[in-house]
Amino acid sequence: MIVRADMASIVWRITVAEGERVRAGQELLILESMKMEMPVLAPVAGIVADIPVAEGDVIEAGDALVRIERGR
Amino acid sequence: MIWDPELEEMERRKAFALSMGGDEAVARQHDAGRLTARERIALLLDEGTWQEIGTFTGAATYDADGRLVSVKPANTIIGTGRVRSRRVAVEADDYTIRGGSTEAQIAEKWEFINRYALEMRMPMIRLVENVGGSVRLLEKMGRTKIPGYRMWPLAGMLGYVPVVALVLGPSAGLGPMKAASSHFSVMVRGTSQVFAAGPPVARVALGRDIDKEELGGAHIHTEESGVIDNAADSEEEAICQARQFLSYLPQSVFGLPPHRPSDDVPDRAEEELASIIPRNQRRVYDSRRLLSLVFDRGTLFEIAPAYGPSSITMLARLNGYPVGVIANDPYRFGGGLTRAAAEKVETFVDLCDTFHVPIVNFVDQPGTVIGLEAEREGAVRGTIRLISAIEQSRVPWCGMIVRRLFGLAGTSYGRLQGLNLHYAWPSARWGSIPIQGGVRAAFRRELDALPPDEAAERLARLEEQYDGLSSPFRTAEAFGVPEIIDPRRTRPILCQWIEDAYAVLPEQLGPTARTMRR
Repeated sequence: MIVRADMASIVWRITVAEGERVRAGQELLILESMKMEMPVLAPVAGIVADIPVAEGDVIEAGDALVRIERGR
Repeated sequence: MIWDPELEEMERRKAFALSMGGDEAVARQHDAGRLTARERIALLLDEGTWQEIGTFTGAATYDADGRLVSVKPANTIIGTGRVRSRRVAVEADDYTIRGGSTEAQIAEKWEFINRYALEMRMPMIRLVENVGGSVRLLEKMGRTKIPGYRMWPLAGMLGYVPVVALVLGPSAGLGPMKAASSHFSVMVRGTSQVFAAGPPVARVALGRDIDKEELGGAHIHTEESGVIDNAADSEEEAICQARQFLSYLPQSVFGLPPHRPSDDVPDRAEEELASIIPRNQRRVYDSRRLLSLVFDRGTLFEIAPAYGPSSITMLARLNGYPVGVIANDPYRFGGGLTRAAAEKVETFVDLCDTFHVPIVNFVDQPGTVIGLEAEREGAVRGTIRLISAIEQSRVPWCGMIVRRLFGLAGTSYGRLQGLNLHYAWPSARWGSIPIQGGVRAAFRRELDALPPDEAAERLARLEEQYDGLSSPFRTAEAFGVPEIIDPRRTRPILCQWIEDAYAVLPEQLGPTARTMRR
């Protein structure tokens, strides 16, 4: 499952690493937009398979942020 | 008894009705992981309260001597019953007969029960699993039919009685029409799909193969399109949601929302409320947690949580009285108003105003969402429609400004034209434009003329200076905000207010009249 950005923002902090196991609701990264630090939470439990963004990246609505392999 | 033969015939005909599409079709329905229409009705209603109407409707066959051979029942089952002891009208599509298609329907039957709900002033519950029209129907009728149903006031009944729709299987055409023209709709993940036309028709029209779940699954309609409000993991859960939704609403616009004794004390003052909003303005907090500390324990029921997620709409209770709750979720879009969020809240305000459910608005509104995407989707139009809906409402309203209140969308915190009751927490900040950004814009020429280092320093000093002016106490000095309250006092204050609100409501009962909204 691919977690995507709601809106145009800046990647502020990435708080997980590739290969890490996450639970549903766990913080994956923090975006900055609307003058807020907005945590993006894992919608499902699984393994972080890919993080196609880096801190400081400017992203658009719909951009992929994290790919999670479900379950396992 | 004199009428024994007829009473016996009734039993025989009733047996045909109860057998639905036959054992094989019922087994297929179960194998697909779905319940039959009659099983659903049994789950929905209080035990023993079902009173069927139109039991004998269907296509009968007779032998050469005119004796009844069998009846294939019409595939909508209708009747009345009780939900938590209150009277309701029910229609249930029977998918075991021609996939619930209108082909095997007698429209007068389901139109009748909708009329019944409207004229006898009781909630209408639709159990939808209906794939709409079929060309086979043409063969049967020998003619084509102009679309539409004359007896069914699709929009009109929404102004009088609560309408709830549960989509419990694939639904096309008439199915979504019944589902989306409701006050609350729910569909089941994985087994329910909703579309104007299903994959076979879409394939012919667009030359594209698409799976039914991809085309109209719960993720499409509860997250992206907003056609359906809620998703459930099972039919049982969907039915529980429908029953709970109805528990907050009156039988019709002519009655008060039902009070239920509360076991939660009205003056419960939660310590956590005094520190739930972070001092650092860039940090988010959990709005749903905040709301759970204020409203009666276990009574919050969220509507459309995944659509327009930067706003939250919930029904709840305050000291046992039903109340509508609006809040912002800073986790999503910073809590800003998107087109979808605006549309969701607009509909919610209409719902509460129509059924006279007082509204509490927990405001942390950074403004209408900005940027190209937001302009394209018309976030401004959504904001105007929301502000209009609030202005056009009459139901008692209380604003609780917990943090930010800025910009165009900031206007939607209250109904500005009347009493406009609102309170603020000490963490509140407001303005027509936020200080960050606002200062930069106002002093741009001066800042641009400075070398970068000096400009940054000057900007910081200016922002500090303006920040000092933004204390809510300064606004309170001019009675610009009626009262700043200790956040821990929020529940006691709202529990007093709800008593006042319910004392006013009897004057407002009946249908609402609204002017145009753009």
